[in-house]
Amino acid sequence: MDEQTTVINRSRQPLTVTLREFELTDVDDYFVWASDDRVSPWWRWDTFTNKEDVLTFMEETVLPHPWMRAICLDGRPVGAISVTRRTAEHQCRAELGYVIASQYWGRGITTEAVKLVLGTIFGDMEGLERLEALVLVQNVGSQKVLEKAGFTKEGILKKYLIHKGKISDMVMYSFIPSEN
Amino acid sequence: MNHDEKHQKPKTPTITLRKFTLSDVDAFMSWAADPRVTRFQRRDPYSDPADALAYITTHILPHPWYRAICIDNTPVGSISVKPAPGEDRHRASIGYRLAYDYWGKGIATEALKLTIKAAFEELDHLERLEAIADVDNPASQRVLEKAGFKEEGILRKYVRLKGETRDMVMFSFLVSDAV
Repeated sequence: MDEQTTVINRSRQPLTVTLREFELTDVDDYFVWASDDRVSPWWRWDTFTNKEDVLTFMEETVLPHPWMRAICLDGRPVGAISVTRRTAEHQCRAELGYVIASQYWGRGITTEAVKLVLGTIFGDMEGLERLEALVLVQNVGSQKVLEKAGFTKEGILKKYLIHKGKISDMVMYSFIPSEN
Repeated sequence: MNHDEKHQKPKTPTITLRKFTLSDVDAFMSWAADPRVTRFQRRDPYSDPADALAYITTHILPHPWYRAICIDNTPVGSISVKPAPGEDRHRASIGYRLAYDYWGKGIATEALKLTIKAAFEELDHLERLEAIADVDNPASQRVLEKAGFKEEGILRKYVRLKGETRDMVMFSFLVSDAV
């Protein structure tokens, strides 16, 4: 084990968070959170049980995604973050989504990743004026991430999405660069 | 001053909902060609009935739930319910438009109440009806509230409308909010 890394982890010093595009060779790292039963309840997808399925998912969904990045800790993917833009008259807005391996929860890494996205996405997507995120009412951890990153809570949309077969209330957050 | 004047609110006329037919094009123009009505819509007012006819044919007739708001069987507006895309079939959004001369008589509120009842009866799995109204459209916000919708929040810079990005008020009516 790398002692340097262990020391840094234990002292809870801030680690370097960076974003980069995914490659298929990231499949082993992707599998870590995709197969994690602590992570998948918060997502619409079910826990992956084998790497071949994750590889297919990366080929079909992750790599072709218009804007998706690996959240890297000291260069190694520990999660994913995506911005999905709406079409037609809703092009002014895009939805933020993120996932991170459960062993890295509660350390400010996701908040840092969200802030990195905020610093770049409005330049990347011309005409984007609103970045929004929908969070399950019971997902307090994710709500804290958005609040620390500077998002505004706009309200609770009741019975908004079907999550794991259950119709769920979602909290709507948004970041408007000219206002937030 | 006439002291005999009764200061009563005029009764809302009896309204019914029915499907559109192509012969409704002239009635349709009575609101669709009016800039006062299209002010908060994405489209500009129609000037050519041929365009209106094309819209009725390609958009209204095949629509999953689109109705004419009628007084004595004559359309004075329209109301539509659009299911959400993809997996979220439990959710649908309502839109409505009314000819200007019929504003302020409770007609839109009545049409909404009829639509809410019909939508929950006819659309399988429906649990949430939603509607958005421009922050600068208090008349529409009041109509939704009177029909029993609940305001959930203001969604900032939510849609593009005629070259501008608008803040919208989100309203919902849940299957549990019985009429």
